[in-house]
Amino acid sequence: MPLPVAIRLENVCAKYAAVRAVEGVSLSVHRGEIVGLIGPNGSGKSTTLRLAAGLLDPVAGTVEVDGLARESDPLRYARRVGYVPQDADLYDELTAEQNLEFFARLYGLRGFELDAGVYRGLARAKLVDRANDRVRTFSGGMRQRLSIAVALLHDPAVLLLDEPTAALDPASRDALFADLHKLRDEGHAILLTTHHLDEAESGCDRIALLERGRLVAEGSPGELMRTKSSGRPVLFGHLSEPLAKFVERRARLRLGPGVELEITGRRVRLSAWGSDDLGRALAVLLSEGAKLDAFRTPAGRLETNAKAA
Amino acid sequence: MAKLSLILTLAGKDWRLFWADRRAAVLSFVVPILLASAFGLIFDRPSHADSQVKLPLLIVVEGDSPFVRQVVADLEGCSRIETQVVSREEADRRLEDRRPGVAVVIPAGFEQFAERPTLEIRHHPLCAMEAQWAEGVVTEVVMKRYAADRLGPLVGTLALQPPFETHAVAVGGPETRFNSYSHSFCGMTIQYLLFWGMESGLLLLRERRRGVWQRLRAGPVPFSTVLIGKAFATAGIALLQALTTFAFGYLAFGVTVGPSVVGFLVMAFVVCLFAAAIGLLVAAVGGTESRARSVSVLAILGLSMLGGLWLPTFLLPGWLRDVSLSLPTTWAMRGLEGATWQGRDFLGTLPSVAAVLGFTALFLTVAWWKLAAAEKREHRGLTI
Repeated sequence: MPLPVAIRLENVCAKYAAVRAVEGVSLSVHRGEIVGLIGPNGSGKSTTLRLAAGLLDPVAGTVEVDGLARESDPLRYARRVGYVPQDADLYDELTAEQNLEFFARLYGLRGFELDAGVYRGLARAKLVDRANDRVRTFSGGMRQRLSIAVALLHDPAVLLLDEPTAALDPASRDALFADLHKLRDEGHAILLTTHHLDEAESGCDRIALLERGRLVAEGSPGELMRTKSSGRPVLFGHLSEPLAKFVERRARLRLGPGVELEITGRRVRLSAWGSDDLGRALAVLLSEGAKLDAFRTPAGRLETNAKAA
Repeated sequence: MAKLSLILTLAGKDWRLFWADRRAAVLSFVVPILLASAFGLIFDRPSHADSQVKLPLLIVVEGDSPFVRQVVADLEGCSRIETQVVSREEADRRLEDRRPGVAVVIPAGFEQFAERPTLEIRHHPLCAMEAQWAEGVVTEVVMKRYAADRLGPLVGTLALQPPFETHAVAVGGPETRFNSYSHSFCGMTIQYLLFWGMESGLLLLRERRRGVWQRLRAGPVPFSTVLIGKAFATAGIALLQALTTFAFGYLAFGVTVGPSVVGFLVMAFVVCLFAAAIGLLVAAVGGTESRARSVSVLAILGLSMLGGLWLPTFLLPGWLRDVSLSLPTTWAMRGLEGATWQGRDFLGTLPSVAAVLGFTALFLTVAWWKLAAAEKREHRGLTI
């Protein structure tokens, strides 16, 4: 029997100025569950997270945490949510302990509760021996662990993480997901955003795929791979070296109609109307000199060391 | 109670951030002291009672009559000028460099008064005031020598003294204890507090662009509490800076406070609140950090100059003196000077306290309104 729903977004719409960033998204995250929001840049992942964190008001629809809408009691709502912004931003000039203490006090912890909370946070972040070191001296992994520990100080029902693995190496990424799995097992509901399909597939219980502000697919990683419910096969890949802009432009010009290519740093996302189109588009990309370390086909098979066709 | 606790938590965070860079923090106490000391030193003049300031004056002698020699001797003996006899060429060369700024030329045939000889006062273009001073002193010396020369030896020089005495009295309060440091410590402290307020506003602008601000805003803290916490921290640190600066002024240069220490503390606290209001205003209307910095520096320097923080406002043209009454810095300066060397009592500082509080309330209202509107826009997705 599934645990109760911790966070519910119902037909939520949001916009930045006149631009619709999220349109009619409905999504629930249960306690003891990790849901990954994936999609290309500008698909509405971070906006959805900001809506859930109460940082952005929806223009339509409702957002609830444990049945409480933010507008009915913003402060109580905030106590139920732990938010980890992109880049694990903290007060770099303060020590790990001072950061934890400040946020613990903001959430109303005092006396023994405060001391215990700070110590628990240091232990959770595995930074007990670096408690008095400034955050600016920490590695990306340490910052991320501390950032999550800060968000968990008040034991929130929901943990929201915006691209938590963006600045991490593979080992730190694995360690982070191991920690998130522990938190899930403790009963927290976790909603995170990521660009990496492989990461979402291995680390999340469910995946929600966003495209241009709409939720186009949702389900367990296995289900999602099987159904390809977006209707458009998508290929995610990783370039072994960044692609020169003129090569990228030339490749785009040679792509057939309906094929979309998105390159963010070394990440590639290719989508087309059909698998054949996708295959041809991949061939074009490779013939232009792109070298892929790895890519995931619509069938979910992981290919490695792809070479130019 | 819970709100006060939150305010203290937020202010405590800013206090820790302030001390995180210890050298910068210490410098923020040292700089106003250095500025005030330097200004005090530059404008330090011994009081009338202690000794007289002597005007440096070059004398060019083109005649060689006994009368001219006596006039030169009288000028050299005059206690209000410091003379040096030089040639006309050397005088002109030195006047160009303002070493010194004034010279008097005693022409040949100066003693032939029937022909109304011309006594030329030559001066650097920027030393017109000194030239008038020199003209007065030289005229007095020549007239005394002329009278003694014409009225003969029967009339001694004593009889040529004016039939009255003059006595200079400084008027500035019941018990004024002015020295140049008193003025500079008041002025430079206020100016530095305004800069600290600006810096605090820029910090807030910087903080709002960081992810940690999103984390803060996602927490259970009303926006108003965040602003109060920020203002509280800014005013608290400003008060510490002000008290440290005046303590140094008291110990090193005899800058005195009182008779009402309470009046001084109230005035200092109000000025610090004003600095906090400046900080929030900078954050509210500044836009980007670099734009806010440029505009704020210009505004603070203008307010400082017109408010009399650098030099006393009586040196300003009349219309500018009237304009300066509409500036908060003028009232802050009046209040602090009143509570220090002018020796005003508590009631005497109240008009300044009220005026600065009024400006503080006005600035806070505008800042609050703008920041709250920006926060609402951000929540509605109208700004990112």
